[in-house]
Amino acid sequence: MSDPTPSGSSMPDNPRLAELRRKHGRPPQAPGAEPPQITPRDSQPRFRGLESGHRACQGCGEALAARLVMESAGPDVMVSNATGCLEVFTTTWPQSAWRVPWIHSLFENASAVASGMEAAMKAKGKNTKVLAFGGDGSTYDIGFQTLSGMLERQHNVLYVCYDNEAYMNTGVQRSSSTPHAAATTTSPAGKERMGKRHLKKDLLSIIAAHHIPYAAAASVAYPQDLQRKVRYAMGIEGPTFLVIHSPCPLGWKHDSCLTIEVARRAVECGLFPLVELERGAVTNVMPIRKPRPVRDYLELQGRFRHLFAEDPRAEEEQAHLQALADHNIATFGLTGDAEDPADTGGAALVHRGGPLASGGF
Amino acid sequence: MTTLTRGAWGYAGASLDFKTGNWRSTDKPVHLHAKAPCHAACPAGEDQQAWFALLQEGRAQDAWEALVAANPLPGVTGRVCPHPCESACNRATLDGALAIHNVERWLGDEAVAKGWAYPLEAPAGDAPVVAIVGAGPGGLSAAYHCLRLGLKAEIFEAAPQPGGLLRSAIPPTRLPRAALDAELERLLALPGLTLTLRARLGRDVSLDELSSRYAAVLLAPGCQEGKEWDVAGAVPTDHREGLALLREFMDHGSFPEAQRVIVHGGGNTAMDLCRLMKRAGSEHVTLVTASGLPGPNTAPGDLINVVPRELEEALEEGVEIIDHATVGRLIMKGSKVTGVEVVSLRKLPGGDGRTHRVAFEGTERILPADMVIPCIGERVDPEGLEGLLERGYLRPADSWGSLSRPNVYAIGDASGQSGTVAAAIGDGRRAAEALALRLAGEVPVSDARPVLEAPQLNPRYYGGGARPHVPKLPAAARDFDSEIEGDIGRTAALAEAQRCLSCGNCLACDNCWTFCPDNAVIKTQELASDGSHYLFDLDYCKGCGLCAQECPTGYIQMVPEEG
Ligand SMILES: Cc1cc2nc3c(=O)[nH]c(=O)nc-3n(C[C@H](O)[C@H](O)[C@H](O)COP(=O)(O)OP(=O)(O)OC[C@H]3O[C@@H](n4cnc5c(N)ncnc54)[C@H](O)[C@@H]3O)c2cc1C
Ligand SMILES: Cc1ncc(C[n+]2csc(CCOP(=O)(O)OP(=O)(O)O)c2C)c(N)n1
Ligand code: SF4
Ligand code: SF4
Ligand code: SF4
Ligand SMILES: [Mg+2]
Repeated sequence: MSDPTPSGSSMPDNPRLAELRRKHGRPPQAPGAEPPQITPRDSQPRFRGLESGHRACQGCGEALAARLVMESAGPDVMVSNATGCLEVFTTTWPQSAWRVPWIHSLFENASAVASGMEAAMKAKGKNTKVLAFGGDGSTYDIGFQTLSGMLERQHNVLYVCYDNEAYMNTGVQRSSSTPHAAATTTSPAGKERMGKRHLKKDLLSIIAAHHIPYAAAASVAYPQDLQRKVRYAMGIEGPTFLVIHSPCPLGWKHDSCLTIEVARRAVECGLFPLVELERGAVTNVMPIRKPRPVRDYLELQGRFRHLFAEDPRAEEEQAHLQALADHNIATFGLTGDAEDPADTGGAALVHRGGPLASGGF
Repeated sequence: MTTLTRGAWGYAGASLDFKTGNWRSTDKPVHLHAKAPCHAACPAGEDQQAWFALLQEGRAQDAWEALVAANPLPGVTGRVCPHPCESACNRATLDGALAIHNVERWLGDEAVAKGWAYPLEAPAGDAPVVAIVGAGPGGLSAAYHCLRLGLKAEIFEAAPQPGGLLRSAIPPTRLPRAALDAELERLLALPGLTLTLRARLGRDVSLDELSSRYAAVLLAPGCQEGKEWDVAGAVPTDHREGLALLREFMDHGSFPEAQRVIVHGGGNTAMDLCRLMKRAGSEHVTLVTASGLPGPNTAPGDLINVVPRELEEALEEGVEIIDHATVGRLIMKGSKVTGVEVVSLRKLPGGDGRTHRVAFEGTERILPADMVIPCIGERVDPEGLEGLLERGYLRPADSWGSLSRPNVYAIGDASGQSGTVAAAIGDGRRAAEALALRLAGEVPVSDARPVLEAPQLNPRYYGGGARPHVPKLPAAARDFDSEIEGDIGRTAALAEAQRCLSCGNCLACDNCWTFCPDNAVIKTQELASDGSHYLFDLDYCKGCGLCAQECPTGYIQMVPEEG
C-alpha cells in the first residue's frame, strides 16, 4: 500500500516519470494500461488527513479529534505537532499516518515552529494554512510561552489543543489542565489528598485576553459542532485557537467504548462548557438541554473512583466539582430558555442518510 | 532496510502498512440486523421498521409495497388489529409507541385511492394450483401469497360473499364496508386467483376430491359454531348465541327487544354486541366476564381479550362491565329469564399446576335481566373435516400450519390458536411459503434472529415527538354506519414515520463512520452486502467498541473473535 522508497527497485527508469511520481506520489498512468485499482478506502467522501494504522490506544479520543480536525481543515494545510501522544502514535518511523506535510517540533515549541512555517508560506506567496497541534501538557504548560507569542504576533495559524487532561504519553502525570480531584500518577488519591489539589486552568480566558479573532472549545461528543468550529477558524485570517475535550481511556480509566459517552457527560454536566469567543467576548455557547449531575460524569471514570469511597472528603470533593460545574453554567448561561436545535440535545440528533441528507427527525 | 538520516521523511499514509487489526483482543464489531420488536410482535409478519424507513424518505408507494410483502390488507388491519406491534414498540420507553396502525391504515387507503398495483406477477400458465377453503382474511392472505410465490390459487367459499367475519361480524363503524370492499376487490382481481362462491366443503366438494385435484389444500374455514352454553344445566327457551345475533344484525339491522341485557363471556364478539345493543336502544347492557380489565393489578394472562381501544370506547358509550365474575344462576319465570345471579371469581393456580376458576361464597348478587346472551367463543364446523378435528379445532403440528394429512394445512381461527385478523393473515402467508418450498423440494426454516430490545438502542441520538392526534367520533354521535376512528392524513403519517427509531437496522446516520478513531469504518453504498452503507476494515479495527456503543439502532454488535 505505501509507496516504495525513492531508492526502491520499483522506481521507474524514466526521469520524467520519476519526477512526476515525486510530485504526485503515485505513478502516472501509461496510455492503455489497466486503470489503478481504487479501493473503497480511496473513495471515501471525506478527506483522510489522518490515516489508519496509527498506534493510538483503543477508543482514543485524541486520535478521533485529530481525524475530525483534519477532515474539515484539509487538504491544503501543513501541521506543526508538539511532542505527545498524537505525535508519537501517528509517526512510527518510517511510517506516517498523516497525508499532509507534517513536522514534529519539540514538546515546548509547536507554536514557534508554526510561526516560522507560516512566515515561510507567506514568503513563498502560498495560501497553505498552518495548523499547530499540541496536547494539554504542551499547551497549558510547557508550550504556553511560544503559544502566547504566536498569538500576540498575530500569525495566521489555527492552534488545536487536544485536551486529555494529563501528560498521557509519559504515563499520566498531572498537568494544569487536569481537573480538580482527579487522580494521576503525580496527584494520587490517598490519605493526604483526594487526587489533584489545584483547579483546572481556565486557559480559554487567558487565550481570549490576547484579543484574537476566534477561540473556542469543542468536544469529540459533538463532531458536527467541532467541525463547524474548525471550518469557521479556517476561514479567518489570523490566529485562532480550538481546545478539544478528548477522553483518554487509559489515563481516565474508562472502558474504551465509552469515550463519547464520557465526553458527552462532561459537556452535559457543565464541567466542559462549549463556548466560542471572538476578540475576547463570548459570542456563542452550546446550551445544555438537561443538565446532568456531575456524579454521572465522574462515575464512569477510574480517575475519580476515590470520590465514591465511604469518606466525608469524597462527598466534599464531589460537591466541590458540582459547584464548579454550576459556576460554569451560571457564568456562561448554559441553561437555554427552550429546546434549541443547537443545544446538547439538538446537536446530537441523527437522521436517515446522515448529516448531509435533508429532512430528518 | 531504510537508513535513518537527518531530514528523512515518511511517506503519506504509510501507516497503512501496519495492520492494527491484530490488536483486537476479544471482540470485533459486526452488523447484525436483529428483528425490530414491532416486526417480531406482528402476527401478520409485517416489518414495520422496513416500511417506516421508506416512508422516512417520503416514498409512500415503496413503503406500501414493502408492507404488502407480508400483509395484503393494510386498510383492514389498520382499522381492526389490536396492534401488538405498538405494545412492543421500543419508542414506548421514550415518549410513546409509534401510531403504527394509523399509518398502516393511511398507506392502505392511499394505495386504493391512487390505484397502486400489488407488486406481483401473474403465475405461469402451468403453475401448480392450490385449493383454499374459506375466503376470510386467512384464506385470502394464503391465496395472495401463493400468487406472490408463483402458484395459482382457487378459493372455495360457502357464503355468497367473500370476507369471512370481516363482513359477517365486524361492525361497519369499525370497518366500513367501502374500505373492506375496495381492498378485497383489488386482491380478488389479481391474475391467477379464482374464487368460487356458495361452494361449501362437505356439501359441494370433499377434501378427498380437493386433495387429489390440487397441489395442496389450505383450510381456512374459521369457527362458525357456537359452543354449548348452560348455567347449572339451565338454558332459556329463547336463548340466542352472541355471534349468531351479531350476524343477524349485520343482515337485517335489528336486535330482539330487550331493555336489560346481560352478555356473558368476553372477546370481540361480546364487545361488539354490547356496543351495538346499547346503541340500538337497550337501556342497560352489562358484560359479565371472568377476565380482568386493564390495570396495574391485572396479569397479562388475566386480561380481557379485546382490542383495548374497543374496550375504552364501549365504556365511553355506557356499556357496563362486571369483571372477575360469572353468571352463577339464571332466575327464570317459566322458561323466560328475569334475572341472573352474578358471583365474583378469580382464576387461581390449583394444586395440579393448572389454573382453576374459584367462585367466592358471599359475593352473589342478583341483577334483573330480560335477556342473557352467551359469548363464550366458537369452534370449527366439523362438516367435511371428519377425522381432522381435535377437541373442536384443526390444531396444526407446526407454525407452518401442517396437518397430519399430507399437503393439507390449517389457517386462521380454525387452527384454534390465533383469533385475530392479523394472525389469520400471518398463518396464510406461512402456510403458502411452506408449501411453495416443499413443492420445490425444500424445507421451510423460521427466522431465528434475536429481537432488538430497548436497552440496546442509544436513545441520545433521537429527537422527541408526540404521537399524532387521531380524530374520533364523540360517543353521542356514533351510529351504525359512520366510522368511529378517523384518518390521520398524509402529513401526520409522514411525520409519524420520522419517529421510528429503526430498531436493529442501519439508518445510515454515519455515526460509526464519524466516531471510529481508527478510520476503520468504510462508507460504501455499493459494496456493503448487508444492506447498510458501511464496511468494517478489520485490518485496522482495534475493537474498541465505540461504534457499537454509539450506534443509535443497535445494528452494530461486538461479538467474540472466532478462533
Ligand atoms: C364480532 C367479532 C369481532 C371481531 N373483531 C376483531 C378485531 O377487531 N380485530 C381482530 O383482529 N379480530 C377480530 N375478530 C376476529 C377475526 O374476525 C377472526 O380472527 C378472523 O376473521 C379469522 O379469519 P379466518 O379467515 O380464519 O376465518 P373467518 O373470517 O371466519 O373466515 C372463514 C370463511 O370460511 C368460510 N367457510 C367456513 N366453512 C366453510 C366450508 N365448509 N366451506 C367453504 N367455506 C367455508 C366462511 O364462510 C368464511 O367466509 C372479531 C371476531 C368477531 C366474531
Ligand atoms: C522538554 C520535554 N520535556 C519532557 C518531555 C517528555 N514528554 C514527552 S510527551 C510528554 C507529555 C505530553 O503531554 P501532553 O502534551 O498533554 O500530550 P498527550 O501525550 O497527553 O497527548 C512529555 C512530558 C519532552 N519530550 N520534552
Ligand atoms: S421505533 Fe420503529 S422499529 Fe422500533 S419498535 Fe417502534 S416502529 Fe418498530
Ligand atoms: S470504532 Fe472503529 S476501531 Fe472501534 S470497534 Fe468500531 S470499527 Fe473497530
Ligand atoms: S451508527 Fe448509524 S450508520 Fe453506523 S451502523 Fe449504526 S445506524 Fe448504521
Ligand atoms: Mg495530555
